[in-house]
Amino acid sequence: MTQAAVLNNVAHRDLRIVTTRGAAWGDDVMSSVVFPSEFRDLQAHCPIVFQKTAEGTGFQPIALLGLQEGQNLFLGPRGWDAHVLPLAIERQPFMIGRDGDERMVHVDLAHPRVVRDPQSSVGEPVFLPHGGHTEFLERITSLLAAIDDGVQATPPFVQALLQHELLESFVLDVELVDGSARRLAGLYTINEERLAALDGAALDALHRAGHLQPVFMALASMSNLRDLIDRMNQRLATGA
Amino acid sequence: MIDAMSTARSDRIRHVVVVGGGSAGWLSAALLAADHRAADADGLRVTLIESPDTPPIGVGEGTWPSMRDTLRRIGVSETGLVRECDAAFKQGSRFDGWVNGAPGDTYHHPFVLPQGYGDADLVSAWLQQHAEVPYADLVCYQPHLCAHGRAPKQAATPEFAAVANYAYHFDAGKFGVFLRQHAVEQLGVRHVSDEVLSITTHDNGDIAALQTRAHGALAGDLFIDCTGLAALLIGQHCGVRLVSQREVLFNDAALALQVPYAEADATIASQTLATAQPSGWTWDIGLPTRRGVGHVYSSAHTSADEVEARLREHIAASGGPRDLPSARRLRFDPGYRERFWHGNCVAIGLSSGFIEPLEASALALAELSATMLSDEMPATRGAMDIVARRFNDSFTYRWSRVIDFLKLHYVLSRRADTGTSTYWADHRRPETVPERLRELLTLWRHRAPYRQDLFRVEEVFPSASYQYVLYGMGFRPEPGAGTRRSEPAAVADGYFRETATLTRRMLAALPSNRELITHIRQHGLQRI
Repeated sequence: MTQAAVLNNVAHRDLRIVTTRGAAWGDDVMSSVVFPSEFRDLQAHCPIVFQKTAEGTGFQPIALLGLQEGQNLFLGPRGWDAHVLPLAIERQPFMIGRDGDERMVHVDLAHPRVVRDPQSSVGEPVFLPHGGHTEFLERITSLLAAIDDGVQATPPFVQALLQHELLESFVLDVELVDGSARRLAGLYTINEERLAALDGAALDALHRAGHLQPVFMALASMSNLRDLIDRMNQRLATGA
Repeated sequence: MIDAMSTARSDRIRHVVVVGGGSAGWLSAALLAADHRAADADGLRVTLIESPDTPPIGVGEGTWPSMRDTLRRIGVSETGLVRECDAAFKQGSRFDGWVNGAPGDTYHHPFVLPQGYGDADLVSAWLQQHAEVPYADLVCYQPHLCAHGRAPKQAATPEFAAVANYAYHFDAGKFGVFLRQHAVEQLGVRHVSDEVLSITTHDNGDIAALQTRAHGALAGDLFIDCTGLAALLIGQHCGVRLVSQREVLFNDAALALQVPYAEADATIASQTLATAQPSGWTWDIGLPTRRGVGHVYSSAHTSADEVEARLREHIAASGGPRDLPSARRLRFDPGYRERFWHGNCVAIGLSSGFIEPLEASALALAELSATMLSDEMPATRGAMDIVARRFNDSFTYRWSRVIDFLKLHYVLSRRADTGTSTYWADHRRPETVPERLRELLTLWRHRAPYRQDLFRVEEVFPSASYQYVLYGMGFRPEPGAGTRRSEPAAVADGYFRETATLTRRMLAALPSNRELITHIRQHGLQRI
């Protein structure tokens, strides 16, 4: 159960947040919601695919981090094995809440990243001794703003993909070194043929709306499927 | 030596004229136009002429699952069908009261095949270990979905895709209008609203043109008769007779009503309901905004007034109102044409024949006819006679199989007759049973129906359908082991367990019909 509270420098004066990446702090997730603005940074590391929203009314871009539920193949003994994190993961345990027109930073006090012991010196402080924002909090605030912008930007992006029929469903069947098999279904990716067949007017429209780059970044990211499989095979081989 | 000299009349088939604008007419026009590029300058020209004064028949609201592929081929959206045709999803039929009319007399004929069909001897295992369970309930999850009013798919399932195989229920009048709009606006079909006054012919008897009231002569290379029971071309002009099936299936009349729901969010039924009556049966089709209910009967066994009273009683007993307007009255000759394709005229829809809608075969046969016509569209007049023979052969076979399958519902009944009608006893008289059906029933006394019992590539009813009706109607093979080696019970058991598991999962994961239809009306379905 989450326990969201509006962040303030009085009640949360001594709040510290664990920033180490690991399963103990909730990072063992197979995928993360991602936003078009971060496709460029992520495409070098993880596959960016699309999934239907629960009500079936739209699609959500996600980064694939593992090949089965609860498995994040980027988590290793040295933390996160890449120098970029999806925004939705990095901002934990913070979130944006809207109060009318105002965007207020909230913190989930029940999250494992929240350091319970007020005497502890583990983790990053959120506020400076006299109540000002730490650099950490500044970074969090800018991440949350980027996420909020991303949430607004995703529907028009997805709409453009559907309008030009650029999404297609795919099923990934994987055979691993131990002979076991995995199947990932219900996922969608960029339809490369349709993309290549777009005429000048369509490309122009996508470019002007800022959608063209993320489309190509998502397409390029698909080569990381091979990488995910290799990571899984390595885990199986070393028994990690 | 082939004479390649041109004559006054071009040999190429370039222009198809569809006569009549109901469901059959617009299905045919739309399918041909989509497949043969009527919107392109060098595609097939498709014209549909319909009389502004002749309304469509107004009944015909159930399809088969093949309609999904046909509509996808035509290029319409399933979201559009739901929104504009008051469509709902149909998962087969349920037959109430057909065996003996006692309480609990009910069985399903679902669209989904038995789990493990063809892989295991399901019937023997059923009889030996689970004989008290209805066959369809044991081997198929779909009857359970229907019993709980579940939809056959989810909000996130793409359009035309299924979780459980399904077909449609929709408003008869709206379907034609829906297809018309797409055919005219997207597919290049030319729509002429006019009366056909007479028909002119070529020397060889082919139809040359239709003489219209306001548009002069409408010439064409191929004419499709979609004029319904009137059969203006195939019947009145070409004189092809209807081969009566009255000796086998007696029903030749129907009364139809539209029944409102008590509440706007009433449960939408998952299947067509067919309830046996003293001299016929009633259909009940659940659309989102109202039900379509009707009573099919034999005029030789009862009167229209008796039937109307029965129908109103039946509607009231099912929770409907008593104060409905007068029912639509329909009469028909049960039977089908001796030939469906004569010269350059082919009959599709009611003009080709009609039989009681016990398994919703009318729209299905129209759809199958339009599909075969489009797939085999002759390129030349020379090829047309060959295609015509193949078409006639295919549909004569299909119609006779439909007759066999419908008769199966009657010949196995043990219903007693009431009053003066001898309807149910008459249906069991051997001389009313087609020989092929009689022979199969003899074979089935000692073994279950299986794939090879029906030997054409595309049968109208697969052998599994015969199993569902046969065993649903209470037929049992003769007891005692045959000489056939039996397989271990574990194989069939595995499939029975699979059915139970799938049933549990699906009941939990599928929305109700009302929920899904409401969602689709608001948000639509994704194409992918």
